[in-house]
Amino acid sequence: MLRKRILVLDGATGTELQKRGMPGGVCPELWCLENPSVIQDVQQEYRAAGSDVVYTCTFGGNRFKLAEFNARNVLEVNRDLARVSRKALGPKTLIAGDIGPTGQFVKPFGSLDFEEAVDVFKEQARGLIEGGVDLIVIETMMDIQEARAALIAVKEISDLFTIVTMTFEKDGRTLNGTDPRTALITLQALGADAVGSNCSTGPADMISFVKAMKPCATVPLVAKPNAGLPRLVGGKTTFDMDAREFASYAGRFAAAGVNLVGGCCGTTPLHIRELKERIGGARAIPPIRSSIGALSSARKVLVLEEKGPLAIIGEGINPTGKKALQEELLQGKTSLVRRMAREQEESGADLLDVNVGVPAIDEVKTMRDVISLLAVATDLPLVIDSARPEAVEAALRIYPGRALVNSIPGEKDKMETLLPLAAKYGAMFILLPLAEGEIPETAEKRIKIIQAIYRRARSFGFTKEDLLVDGIVMTAASNPQAPAETLKTIEWVSKTFKGAPLIGLSNVSFGMPERRWLNAAFLAMAAAKGLRAAIANPTREELMAVKLATDVLGQRDRDALNYIARFSGPSGQKEPGGPAAEPSPTESVYQAILDGNRDDINDFVDAAVAAGKTAPALVQDTMIPAIIRVGDLFGRKEYFLPQLIASAETMKKAMEHLEPRLRAARAGGKRKGPILLATVQGDIHDIGKSIVALMLRNHGFQVVDLGKDVSAGAILKAVRRHKAPVVGLSALMTTTMVRMPEVIRLAEEKGLRCRFILGGAVVTKPFADSLGAAFARDGVEAVRMIERML
Amino acid sequence: MNGPQFFDRITVQTPLRNIYRRLGYKKGVTRLEAGRRDELETWIRDAGLLMHLKGVARRFPVTARDSSRTLLPEDVVFESRDLASFLDGCGEIALIAATAGEDIINAIEQTAAANQLTRGVVFDAVASETVDAALDWITAYLRQALRRENKAPRRGRFSAGYGDFTLENQKRIFELLELQRIGVRINESFILIPEKSVTAVVGIREKP
Repeated sequence: MLRKRILVLDGATGTELQKRGMPGGVCPELWCLENPSVIQDVQQEYRAAGSDVVYTCTFGGNRFKLAEFNARNVLEVNRDLARVSRKALGPKTLIAGDIGPTGQFVKPFGSLDFEEAVDVFKEQARGLIEGGVDLIVIETMMDIQEARAALIAVKEISDLFTIVTMTFEKDGRTLNGTDPRTALITLQALGADAVGSNCSTGPADMISFVKAMKPCATVPLVAKPNAGLPRLVGGKTTFDMDAREFASYAGRFAAAGVNLVGGCCGTTPLHIRELKERIGGARAIPPIRSSIGALSSARKVLVLEEKGPLAIIGEGINPTGKKALQEELLQGKTSLVRRMAREQEESGADLLDVNVGVPAIDEVKTMRDVISLLAVATDLPLVIDSARPEAVEAALRIYPGRALVNSIPGEKDKMETLLPLAAKYGAMFILLPLAEGEIPETAEKRIKIIQAIYRRARSFGFTKEDLLVDGIVMTAASNPQAPAETLKTIEWVSKTFKGAPLIGLSNVSFGMPERRWLNAAFLAMAAAKGLRAAIANPTREELMAVKLATDVLGQRDRDALNYIARFSGPSGQKEPGGPAAEPSPTESVYQAILDGNRDDINDFVDAAVAAGKTAPALVQDTMIPAIIRVGDLFGRKEYFLPQLIASAETMKKAMEHLEPRLRAARAGGKRKGPILLATVQGDIHDIGKSIVALMLRNHGFQVVDLGKDVSAGAILKAVRRHKAPVVGLSALMTTTMVRMPEVIRLAEEKGLRCRFILGGAVVTKPFADSLGAAFARDGVEAVRMIERML
Repeated sequence: MNGPQFFDRITVQTPLRNIYRRLGYKKGVTRLEAGRRDELETWIRDAGLLMHLKGVARRFPVTARDSSRTLLPEDVVFESRDLASFLDGCGEIALIAATAGEDIINAIEQTAAANQLTRGVVFDAVASETVDAALDWITAYLRQALRRENKAPRRGRFSAGYGDFTLENQKRIFELLELQRIGVRINESFILIPEKSVTAVVGIREKP
């Protein structure tokens, strides 16, 4: 049916029920069971309006939602509601069993256990199937993992056509960050028969989702938009798009390639009627491809195109030879894994290999834990690297994306275990041309095995797009002919087999010194033969540089955009447009403070002193003017906070470096201050105060910082001890600023003659004035005020 | 009255524009060279990794109101003209809260000690803006949940400490949301700890 025309779904049900008397606050499912004629009326109206498919009224028919209304007979509720629909619509109308979200997020994105979620959806699905539905629709999903649990649940108990639609926010992603293409790649691989979007957005946005999905879709696409978003029309806020306007999008939907279309919140049978009319006989565009070489995480997609950049699979997360990683995995810790994932991702890896094979470890549990961790910690799709099928299965089941299995070899028992697993979860896999016993040394032998494995894979429904073929890299040091055989294999896979070659790069250089040059060179040579992906170390800069270069030279980086982005532009911390001539030592000090150059300031200071400048003169004539200039720039917003602080820290470093000389120069003379700083009792905020302390020290003040949550008594004790002339008090909340008058009053009572200056988000000048204290808005102003006070 | 709904892991896109704005960046005026920008964005990413956003939301029917008080079930009374005015027309409210967790706060404190205050102020800004974004996330979640009941959250949020809705109310909100379950405490000055934790009242109204 879908190949011939665009099918029309139904519209909103909740509002239709409310119009016909359903009160607010009730459970729609239970109410419909008590008032079946009402829901039947609604559904018949939608059918009459032109709906080819009508949804059962079971959106909240899962265990959790029904429990909120103290109903526990999940199966019966769903079965009976399906029968209610069938009774109304007869055998010819397609009835879709509606499965909505539980309202909870599923691990690793939330607290609901994955298998519990699967059970919950199986329970509901069984009822719907028993009730005689023709297909299942899993809708309004905002969590890709929940959608997966529901889809797996349905597919494990039936063969029914299953639609999955997710709800995307205005920014084009679900609440957890999944965008339409990513959701599509994951769900269609997992067995969804149609994928799309419903709710949350209006027709215009939803058309863009369909357009984004169509080029990658191997299944029909679905759109069930809301009737618009709140809009201001003639000064009044209206929410619903009228039927005519809603239907006017029909042509654009058809052109975008939608295959099933309906309406969600705000729509009525009239909207559907108009939509059906406007769709008319518009041509349905069936899926334009039957398979796709693409992988996904929860938030990102990687399409492995022939003319796309070479994909790098980060090999780091592999405990072989890594004692620290082995220990961490055995102890169930995670910080090293996290760090390795992040480093590889930042270095430019496209995918991450995950191997947790440590002797004596519970590999299944560890794999599950690490995959769950990485599903959240990184956006990169994962490669599941394990020799144990149980570990592969555990990973594939829990991974909220489409993964790559590393690998499936030609050994019969491995193939027979791993191929069905990869097929069930829709994973891609690395085809490893190993047969019983030995590693084939020649390209010829490898080619034969590749063909054999591929033949077997085809019977499980795999196509060439679903696999990467390992060319097998042997150590050049022990067999000089090995690289050539690998290159021959790669070329055959690319040009003759028309598949996607892959290699595990690092092996080639094993046993040689300076392995990196061999690795990089071999990568380039293999790329020229058509390599699509490589398992390698992305943190090696020269390797990634060569990869980018080979992409340009092999026409896999259009207009060399990636290469140029990586290598052009200012590098390092040098500021552009410096003075043409070599700056003098004092000029360098001045500029370093302006630039916030913490790294070089002390060298410049030493140079200035060596050139004859005394420490006090350097501070007075060069450094203080520099920091004052920074303050000016900050005041004009030409510098913002990080630059201000960086300059202040640079100044601080220089002052500390000069302190021995400054002390000698003072020799008995008094330093300015000390200025006492404290955040008042009950208050914990202190970053503002730290900034003030820094600025004061920049200007040569001695500062005593008492910290936060300091009692009045402790403050005054410190005043006496240090003989402080000025005390700065900080408070950020209305409840704590009341401490300020306390401190000031207590100081008066005790006859202390220090002056006070107040700061903090809630403090105002009038408030400070009323207490006879000074006020400063920020660190820069504080320095000015305190200088004046002294 | 339903119990609180907890969100163990809130993911938001880093609110870069808001972070820059909070740090005082003014487009077209502030000069930021490429090298400094890279350093800044590395710190922003570092901060992101140190935050573990958690949240909670709970809906309450408004049982009674007048111009200065809002009453909820189980004798909850919020005395505030400003809040009552904010909630005008809302038959229901949601109390929501979010926290960035302790790790980011510990990291900020360490930066002051270790002469890395520049990094510290960036972390501070990231934490504040991200927690705010987490409240946006919770509101979006509510919006989706309410849609089928033909209700919607009203634009804006109102927190304890705004206007005449005194900070003392934070204690009652803390109890109603069971904030200890997301790792938050409250001190005798009604300040939430860890520092980057916020609560808010959101109005819910029926759609016309």
